[in-house]
Amino acid sequence: MSVFKWINKVSNNERSRKAWFSFVCLVFVVLIVVPSIFVILKMLTEWGVVSEVFRDSVMMSTITGALRNSFSIAGIVTVIDVAVGVPMAWMMVRKQFRGKKYLDTLMDMPLAFPTAVLGISVVMFWGAPEGISIPGLGIVVSPYVMLVLLHIIFTYPYMVRSLSAILEQIEPNYETAAMTLSASRFTAVRTITLPLFRAGLVTGTILCFARSLSETGGTFIALQMMGVGSVFFTGPTFIAYMKAEYGVDAAMGSMILISVLMIILALILLVVVKLLIMRFKIPMKRVWPDFGRFVSRGAMPKLKDTVSVIFLAVIVLIPTFYIFTYLTQPMAEIDFGSLLYSTGISFLIAGVAVVFNIVFGIPIALYIARKRHTTSGKILDSLVNVPLIIPTTALGFSLALFWGSIYAGDSIGLLMVILGHIAFTFPLVVRNITGAVEEVDVSYEEVAITLGAKPFQAFSKVLMPIIKSSIIAGAILAFTRSLGETGATVAISDSVKTVPVYIMELIKADNYPEAAFCSIILIAICFMFMFALRMIINRGDRRA
Amino acid sequence: MPEIILDGLRKSFGGCPAADGLSLKVNDGEYLCILGPTGSGKTTCLRMICGLTKPDSGRVLFDGTDVTDVPVSERKATMLSQAYSLFPPKTVYENVMFSPQIKEWDEETSKQLVKSMIKMVHMENKANSYPRELSGGQQQRTALARALASDSDILLLDEPLRALDARLRLELRQELRSLVKDMGLTAIHVTHDQDEALEMADRIAVIRKGRIVQIGTPMEVFQNPRTPFVANFVGRSNIFIGKISSVCEAFTEVMLGNGSLIRARRTDIPAGTDVAVAIKIGSTRIPIVEKPTEERPEPEQPQGFFRGRVERILYEGATVTIEVDVKDVGLVSSKLPNRRYDDYKAGDEVTVTWIPDKANVFEISPDGIDEELRLD
Repeated sequence: MSVFKWINKVSNNERSRKAWFSFVCLVFVVLIVVPSIFVILKMLTEWGVVSEVFRDSVMMSTITGALRNSFSIAGIVTVIDVAVGVPMAWMMVRKQFRGKKYLDTLMDMPLAFPTAVLGISVVMFWGAPEGISIPGLGIVVSPYVMLVLLHIIFTYPYMVRSLSAILEQIEPNYETAAMTLSASRFTAVRTITLPLFRAGLVTGTILCFARSLSETGGTFIALQMMGVGSVFFTGPTFIAYMKAEYGVDAAMGSMILISVLMIILALILLVVVKLLIMRFKIPMKRVWPDFGRFVSRGAMPKLKDTVSVIFLAVIVLIPTFYIFTYLTQPMAEIDFGSLLYSTGISFLIAGVAVVFNIVFGIPIALYIARKRHTTSGKILDSLVNVPLIIPTTALGFSLALFWGSIYAGDSIGLLMVILGHIAFTFPLVVRNITGAVEEVDVSYEEVAITLGAKPFQAFSKVLMPIIKSSIIAGAILAFTRSLGETGATVAISDSVKTVPVYIMELIKADNYPEAAFCSIILIAICFMFMFALRMIINRGDRRA
Repeated sequence: MPEIILDGLRKSFGGCPAADGLSLKVNDGEYLCILGPTGSGKTTCLRMICGLTKPDSGRVLFDGTDVTDVPVSERKATMLSQAYSLFPPKTVYENVMFSPQIKEWDEETSKQLVKSMIKMVHMENKANSYPRELSGGQQQRTALARALASDSDILLLDEPLRALDARLRLELRQELRSLVKDMGLTAIHVTHDQDEALEMADRIAVIRKGRIVQIGTPMEVFQNPRTPFVANFVGRSNIFIGKISSVCEAFTEVMLGNGSLIRARRTDIPAGTDVAVAIKIGSTRIPIVEKPTEERPEPEQPQGFFRGRVERILYEGATVTIEVDVKDVGLVSSKLPNRRYDDYKAGDEVTVTWIPDKANVFEISPDGIDEELRLD
């Protein structure tokens, strides 16, 4: 209690508020921003090793091939997500139907699954990999197509969520007005709502693209199971493969090069995508009344909804849950000791990262939300997005180089992994809270202060209860994201075995049944944890 | 309760001044209305008093003590905002309980206090309702109770009646004022509605472009405006531009551009000066010029300064406003009781007149009269 009293008292002093905020910014820059892009500096100091890679034409073609795969897969996946995400978001926001609540929950499921698990499940469903006794569809697809199918699953929820969030804020009045002016629904939506939609499209595109570009665990496992793990690469799996196969020191040059290339290309692409979507002119002037009427009436809207649902079921949900078919098999022998240890490590990392991000993310989110129009607000906003765009494997590698240059030795491996997880989940927490704070009129806090509340009380007693659900949503998002992450963990430390890393190693050892059962147990633990968390929070609610 | 002094406050936002040497004294226990058009710096003035906005220069004093650097939460000056800002997750009771709770007052005393406040604003039946379940008037009363329970002795009201229905707004004026008076608070009420200010205030401060133009009782501000702006903003006025031709003990004579000679109140401004004459539309009279008939070929004509033709008649309920087109002068308005509605029809010739004592004479500022009268 007295701690809060002390914070209340201190928060009343403008100078101490500024000091705290400066400290938060410093922590953000030193612990998150700088380590994330340190590898670029490292490339300059290690130019010798890097230039050797340039001369090695075989290595160069592998690197460019991996980059081409990464970026083209991310591109294709994003385009598909937009195409199927728009009608789906539409349905979820504007339509009422039975079972909507369940569909809503189901859609988020892939986010709660570690991507490593998704990797196993997806390959099992589409293909019929050797060593697995469950029959899949047995469709022989190239590794490239398989990765597209896999990446759609964990990017799809991001796209639908981003689009729904914006759609919820667009009043249907505009469309209704256009329709009373005798536009068909299709024309009304295309010329009135879609242009208002861009912000959501930008967010969704960036999230999907970055997520696909970053993904390591699921991709690695899928390629491994298809038996092409050492010939077919994406950017992140290349880094993971090089590190495992040759070690950091031997592969330093190529790892630095591909990391820097991924970071720079991703940042460039981010800017280009943003500009493209904002500038892109939706054909506004022309209308095609007959076409508009054709697609707005009769069976067409129904057909569109049906296709959306079928896509969700066949491409996203069934492959996600396919791993549960293993429950029909005899239980594999499981090394419970190692599994529980890994689970403990994973929860520890995710827990610490989330708590850190909430404490340090809230001040940053408040600042961005309240001062968005100022230069410093804009700079901070862009900086927060940096770790979101950078592929996590490159980020992890960069982070390891940064802390490695300060402290040699692997004894701080766990700490470094935590710092890595803090970095890439930080934007998730901050963005969620920023969005919520922007919705809340600043006058609530102002009035509270004039009523005698200290600034910290105005936050904790007034603003906090209003935005609590967004903070929790951000925390859960960050927590699951951290639990599922493979690339950054592998790139930072060899010794820290989180669950996804443990599962990946089982797959590498061709121990599929154990990997599958471990995955199922992990998912069960995750859900129980989420459920418990929700219960605790709700109970706290009632008490207050 | 405290006396508030604002001393030369200056504040600008991105080079745009919202307070430009603002000075003002509010007496202990007074109900002061700050009246001004949108963008005149009213809200900034309130925010500087409670500390939410920090002035670039100048001082704020409560009872002679400089509070310019005192944190908002310690000033005991509570803001009642336009939208009331009742905390959405809290009930009426919890909202009113906010201050006692954060100040950690004795629980029993707090409960009694909160209950009595809720009773005072007649919200007993709604104590457990959430803000979204309340009507505008109920929200306003709850916000008031919350402010009253906070141990503040200054109440800052930012257009507190704005969000209400027109009818309710009128009803709540006196209720709000008497509640504040009963509590003995010093209240500063910001509004752009002159009727509201005239009816509620002990004194009115007219603000424009970040400065107080005039401060005085409602009657003073209405009857003796210091500038043409005040004359026109607090009760509409007809404004005439001309040159003083003579000044005597009883009245001033002003020659208009079209050659008409009009009379106004006595002034110290010397003859020959360019001036504006303002006369409230309610004091402007427009007797009808009789048309000659067979029986009375030369009817007795009313005395007036000039003649014009009725252009439009606006029925406003209790009053009618008649707009008269005067050649070379423009439209002149006259506000009359509604029983006079049938006396006029468009096209009638009338003569325009008023009691000289009710017309004010102003020297024209260098910016010109149009600039002076602008409402933004």
